[in-house]
Amino acid sequence: MSAEAARTDLPPPASLEAPPDIRGDSSPFARSILTLGACGLALVLVGTIAIQIFYAVAHTPDPQVCLANGIIPYQPATASGPASGIQGWQGVCNIVLGLTSRAETAVLVTGIVLGVASLGIGLLSYRKADTRRKRDHLVTGAVFGGQAVNFGILLLIFVQSPQKFVLQFMNFYQLRGHDGVALVTGIKYTLVLAFGGEIGGILIGLVVALLEISGRRSVRAPATVYINLFRGTPLLVQLSIGYFGINLGLGLHLSSFTVAIAVFALNMGAYSAEVFRAGIQSIERGQMEAARSVGMTYLQAMRYAIVPQAVRRVIPPLLNEFVILIKDTSLVIIIGLYLNQLDLFSAAQQGYSDTFSATFFLAASIGYLIVTLPMIGIVNAVERRLRSGLVSVAGGGV
Amino acid sequence: MPNADGSIVRLEGVHKWFGDNHVLRGIDLVLQEGDVQVVVGPSGGGKSTLLRCVNLLELPSQGHVWFDGQDITDVRTNLNEVRTHMGLVFQAFNLFPHMRALRNITLPLEKVLNLSRTEAEERAREQLQRVKLEGKADAYPGSLSGGQQQRVAIARALAMRPRLMLFDEVTSALDPELVGEVLQVMRELAADGMTMMVVTHEMGFAREVGTRMVFMDGGVIVEAGEPRETFANPRSPRLQEFLGEIL
Repeated sequence: MSAEAARTDLPPPASLEAPPDIRGDSSPFARSILTLGACGLALVLVGTIAIQIFYAVAHTPDPQVCLANGIIPYQPATASGPASGIQGWQGVCNIVLGLTSRAETAVLVTGIVLGVASLGIGLLSYRKADTRRKRDHLVTGAVFGGQAVNFGILLLIFVQSPQKFVLQFMNFYQLRGHDGVALVTGIKYTLVLAFGGEIGGILIGLVVALLEISGRRSVRAPATVYINLFRGTPLLVQLSIGYFGINLGLGLHLSSFTVAIAVFALNMGAYSAEVFRAGIQSIERGQMEAARSVGMTYLQAMRYAIVPQAVRRVIPPLLNEFVILIKDTSLVIIIGLYLNQLDLFSAAQQGYSDTFSATFFLAASIGYLIVTLPMIGIVNAVERRLRSGLVSVAGGGV
Repeated sequence: MPNADGSIVRLEGVHKWFGDNHVLRGIDLVLQEGDVQVVVGPSGGGKSTLLRCVNLLELPSQGHVWFDGQDITDVRTNLNEVRTHMGLVFQAFNLFPHMRALRNITLPLEKVLNLSRTEAEERAREQLQRVKLEGKADAYPGSLSGGQQQRVAIARALAMRPRLMLFDEVTSALDPELVGEVLQVMRELAADGMTMMVVTHEMGFAREVGTRMVFMDGGVIVEAGEPRETFANPRSPRLQEFLGEIL
C-alpha cells in the first residue's frame, strides 16, 4: 500500500519541448577571456592587413627612405643612360614601410601580450569552470591567445628585416601588363591539359581495369605491364620520351601540347585503371552472380550491374588523382609549349626570366590553389555524402 | 537420350574441389518436371555448391550436368541461353541497388530476352503482383525490407519465365517475422506446378512443400526419399542425429 501511495506522489513525467541545454550558462569572466584571446588574434592578423592597406592607399613613399631600405627607385631611360632601378618601387617600398613601422610593432606586441594573458588565464582556470559553456569559452579563448602569440612572434621576427623578401616575392607590379595576363590564360591552358589528360585517362583506365580483372593471365599480363611501366617511371621522363624521343625523334610532327595531353592521358590511365579495378572489385560478388544467373553475358553484367555501382565509389579517388594531375601538368615545361598556349607554371617561369622576381611563382601558386581548393572541397563533400549513404543507395539491407 | 525419362535436370558423378577442399564427392540427382526437390543438411555439407552447379555458377570439377537433355557441362554450351531457363534466388537477395524494383526485373527482360520496354514492364508488373509488391515498383531495394527485397528477387527470376527455379537458403538472411511472406510466395509457386530445387533450413517448409528430398553431409547425398516419410522415419544414423539436433 505504501509503495503505491509513494508512486502516486511522483510528479508526472515532464514533457520537454526541446532537449535540455546541458551546456549551461557562461559567465562574464569566461566571456572576457574569450574576447581577450580573440582580440589578440585579430590585432595580429587584421591589424597587419589594415596597416598594409593604409600604406598602400594613403601613403606616398619618400625615394630617399626607400633607397635606405635597398629599394632603388625606377629611373626611365634617358639619352645619357639606360633605365635603372625597380619597376613599381613605390608599392614595394610601402609594403616594407608598413611592415617596419612603429604601428606594426605596437600592434604585434599588444597582440602578443593579450594572447599571453588569455592563454595563461584560460589554461589555469578552465578546470575550475562549473558549466560546459564556461569551459568552452575559457579553452577557446586560450587557443585564440596561443595562436595570437604564435603568429605575433613569427611576424615580429619577420618585420625586423623584410626588405629582401618583399622585393623578391611581393613585387606585384611585375604581374601587371603582358605577363600578368599570361598567368590568367595560363590557368586556362593548365585546365585544358589536365582535363584532356583526365578524360583520356579515364577512358584508358576503364578499359585497362576490365582487362586487369580478367580471369585469363594472357589478358591480364599486358594490362599489368602497362600499369607498372607508367606508375613506375617519372612523368618527367615519360614526357621527354613522348616528345623528344617519339615525336621529334621519329618525326611525328605533333605539337608539344598534343603530345603532353597524350602522355598525361597514358599516365593517368595507369593510375585510374588501379582505381577502377579496386572499385569494381569492391562490388559484392553476388551482383555479378545475380546478373549472370538471369542470362546476362559477362560484359552486360559489367555494363549494367557492376560498373554503374563502381563508378560511384571511385569518384573521390579519381578526383584526388585529378588534383594531382592538375599540379603535375606544370612538368610540361620540360618539353616547352608555344608562347601563345603556355600553362600556368610556364607563364610564371617566363615572367620570372624577364624580371627575376619570384612574385610570379607566388602568383602561380595562388593560381593553382584557385583551381585545386574547390576540387579538394568537392572530394571532401562527395566523401561525406558517400559515408552518410546518400549517394550509395547500396547496402542491400542485409 | 539422357532425358528419355522426362527429367529436366540430371546430375551425374558431380565432384567439386575448391583448391584442396573436396566439397562435392560424386553427386547423382534427377529432377522431373513438377518436382519440388528440397535439399537439407548441416552447414558446409555442400548444399549451396550443389545448387550452384546446376546452373553452372560453379563449374563442376568432374561429372556432367544435363538440362533438358543437353549436357551443359560441355564447353560448347551457350550457358547464357541455358541460364534464361533457370531462375536462381540468393540468400543475400543480390538485387541491383542502383535500380528501382521494376527496373531490376525489366533489365534482363530487355537486355537478354530482347523484349520491348512496354512488354518488359507489363511482364514485370505481372510478377510484382504475383509476389504482392505491385505498390513497390518504384522503390529502390535499400528502402525495402529484407522480405520485400527477396520477393522482388523472386519476381525478377520468375519474369524470365524459367522452367526451373533454384532457391539458395532464401530465408536465412531474413528476420524471423519476414520469413513467412517469402515462404508463402514459394508455397504458391509450388502449387502452380513450378519445378523447384530448394536448399533450406526450414524443415517445416521442406516437409510440407517438398515432393522429394535429399539429405547432404560431407559432400555426398546421405539419404533421399519422400520428405514426410523420410522426416518421420530417417534410416541413416547421420540424418537421425541431424534431426535430433535441430528439433
